[in-house]
Amino acid sequence: MHESFRIAQKTGLMFRYDQAMPEDMQGWVVQQLQAESPAIGIANIYSTAEEWPAELQPNLAKRSAMWRQFRQLKKQQREGKNGQDNEAAVQANRKANLLRDTDELKFVHRNVYGADQVKLRLAAFWANHFTIGNTFDTSNMIGHAIDEGIIAKLNGSFADMLYGITTHPGMLTYLDNVWSAGERSEKAKDCNRRIDCHAGLNDNLGRELLELHSVSPAAGYNEDDIHSAAKVLAGWGIDFGEDVARMRKLTGGNNHWDAYKKRWQEPGSKTVMGKRIYAGKKGLRQLTDFLALHEHTIDYIATKLCRHFISNQPSSEEVQAVKQVWRDTNGDLLAIHTKVLDLAIASPEVKFLWPMTWLFQVVRLSGATFFQGWEQRHDYSNDLMRTQKVFKELGQSFWSERQPNGYSDDPAEWMSAEMFERRLRFAHAIYENGRVRRSTSKIMDRIGANPATRQLVASLGMSPRDQFVALMCSPELMGLENA
Amino acid sequence: MPKLNLDRRSLLKAGAASLFMSGLPVSGFTQGKPPGSINVIILEGGMDGLAAVPPIGDPDLMSIRRVLTPDSYQPLNDFFGLHPSLKFFAQLMARGHASAVHATSFPYTKRSHFEGQNLIQGGGLSPFSETSGWLGRALELAGVSGRSLSLDMPLILRGHKDNDNFYPASIRGSKQPAADLVQLIAMGHASDNAQVINQVAKKSEANIKVPRDPASLAKYAGKAIAQADGPVASVILVNSFDTHASQVDDGDADSGRLATQLAVVDDVISGYRQGLGDAWDDAIILTLTEFGRTVAANGTTGTDHGYGSVGLLAGGSLPASRVVADWPGLGKRDQFEKRDLMATIDYRSVCAACVERTLGLDHDLIASQIFHQADLPRVYDAIFA
Repeated sequence: MHESFRIAQKTGLMFRYDQAMPEDMQGWVVQQLQAESPAIGIANIYSTAEEWPAELQPNLAKRSAMWRQFRQLKKQQREGKNGQDNEAAVQANRKANLLRDTDELKFVHRNVYGADQVKLRLAAFWANHFTIGNTFDTSNMIGHAIDEGIIAKLNGSFADMLYGITTHPGMLTYLDNVWSAGERSEKAKDCNRRIDCHAGLNDNLGRELLELHSVSPAAGYNEDDIHSAAKVLAGWGIDFGEDVARMRKLTGGNNHWDAYKKRWQEPGSKTVMGKRIYAGKKGLRQLTDFLALHEHTIDYIATKLCRHFISNQPSSEEVQAVKQVWRDTNGDLLAIHTKVLDLAIASPEVKFLWPMTWLFQVVRLSGATFFQGWEQRHDYSNDLMRTQKVFKELGQSFWSERQPNGYSDDPAEWMSAEMFERRLRFAHAIYENGRVRRSTSKIMDRIGANPATRQLVASLGMSPRDQFVALMCSPELMGLENA
Repeated sequence: MPKLNLDRRSLLKAGAASLFMSGLPVSGFTQGKPPGSINVIILEGGMDGLAAVPPIGDPDLMSIRRVLTPDSYQPLNDFFGLHPSLKFFAQLMARGHASAVHATSFPYTKRSHFEGQNLIQGGGLSPFSETSGWLGRALELAGVSGRSLSLDMPLILRGHKDNDNFYPASIRGSKQPAADLVQLIAMGHASDNAQVINQVAKKSEANIKVPRDPASLAKYAGKAIAQADGPVASVILVNSFDTHASQVDDGDADSGRLATQLAVVDDVISGYRQGLGDAWDDAIILTLTEFGRTVAANGTTGTDHGYGSVGLLAGGSLPASRVVADWPGLGKRDQFEKRDLMATIDYRSVCAACVERTLGLDHDLIASQIFHQADLPRVYDAIFA
């Protein structure tokens, strides 16, 4: 494979079939990190790529209002009121008020049509690191967290990203923190006087903040540390469907991304891994800042970045180099990412592509139209599957019901007969229904496919579809073997 | 509910490896078809054993976890009850075809899902120490194959190249790939991947249509195992046992998130029963979960990560229904670190007994070669004798 395509495969999403090639690849990768990231997509399958309309990208207040409305209508459905008790009304409610399909399609469009491919790969890494699974009540928040909590913060400090995501309503809901109250909080005291009221700590987010998002178990923290982290978090977040007046009363404001219920906080200072954390709302920032520059966080996440972008077994020199940049810049993500990508380019090792990354690359290289436009996001198509269904079949989606540890970078997790069968089938489906714009031989010439790949494609005989499937499922295009 | 013939609690002395063998082959390698099949249901998230099989005879149960204990439990004996979601399992118990092992866990006490899940599948001495799974190594030693009913090849089954997986696809614009296409593409890949890819060709010839819910997959797995040349092991995953919040519905401990998931497990066992047919007689089905949950409820009508839990066993290979436990008690000082159910039985021993019964491997070999722990206690007799 030509060097430019090798680099784009490893660090990006491949150059689209009609995209001009940069001359200086190393410079291109660095420029990519500074690229603007508008959400680019198509209105319908015949239109050209343009920016997504603002009205389909609502802010948090609007998202919360939609969720509130959704629940209200659902309640009416259950009670058989207001003519809501029929399938048409149920569907109308979902279309009007749930954002999952819209947000997921927008994410896909970014990846298929975006000119910021390297940033999008980094966004996928961090969206996975800070997994917010779809527990249904997170439906309207996952897309916002990816856009505003990850993509918008890719060039800031890790500390900002960590604090931002920890306090994002999506994360606070996914890991149950919106219901967690300090054991000695005002809320718990009130509750203890009544029999129908439960209030107390839920340690779910406190545990994963340490285990998955920052220091990892290698840090050797204990159950008291987890409990203390949960106490620091108590009071953060509020039910996304809470009405505005009550939210004001509980949090003193109407910002879901800065919602702290004083009456639910655990009074007093806490100690997490030897660090004294003061009482009150500011304690969390103190904790996430401490964690963001902890030596175990640096080691754990630098290694994870190297494993995602450089090779399955990055050398200790590579990991050390990234760690050093982290320390030298106090966790500046732009500097860290630049280092990781430099090392990824310098390393001849291959990385087996995640199913979703591979799918985006196949679509971009071939110029296929495999996803509906935003105007069509609720329409049925005879040819094109719904976005949600595509990723369910592929076994990977940021909108699926999944565990907070996210998707693995271990190739063994992605190599099975069924996983491979899905790639064969999707290559087939993209060829059949995706109106591909480039022939297999043109694609091979453009990327500089290696002789083994050409031989494999030739062995399939004259069927253009089989040749396409063979190319896209070759070791070279899947990131399994070196050219 | 018929009256069950169960001991009040079957006490088990878990000592060093037993010298007593129960008439099974002593050699490590079996010839031809082994004595039975082993089917694992992985309960992802950490299942609350105290709610699935509540120890109703324990004087501390109701004072500590009244809110979490189902009202309509089925009494198994005067000490243990069964969650009302486990209806089919209750029938099996009445017929002597199901057992439970309580206050048990893999020896892992740090309460991380991901370390725990890795350990219960890898079966090594510490999390992330293994690149293969305990069942994969068992099948490799026995020279027979297993199948996972999932898109991926889970760690538990890795370690034997003939193991495969099955999960129905539904992709518009695609067909099951033709066998010759698959074989040609496989030839372009490195040999270990080619081996995996060629399994797709085998499936292409079979042309199977199965719904994707866990119970239907279990029925399919049972049927496959019942065939003469079928696999002798299977793995199915049931998720969402991480019941931090709304484990039970407000004011109704018979329903809620746990009740829903336990009903899925019950359906999976029922699916296996239907699919296995006569092969049920030599089958064992066992559940596997990374940890139990806290004895007390947390602040959100749920439970946080704990230690000891319960293992559910079903299949015709069980000689009788038992609740096997060396009950530690639920009082504060009986609890592990004053919060969790203590585990008094190493669940690796239970897995080892199931391997011994169904794959015909010798316990000492299982202990040393599969679990890397030569002195792993043998609990075979408590379950299968």
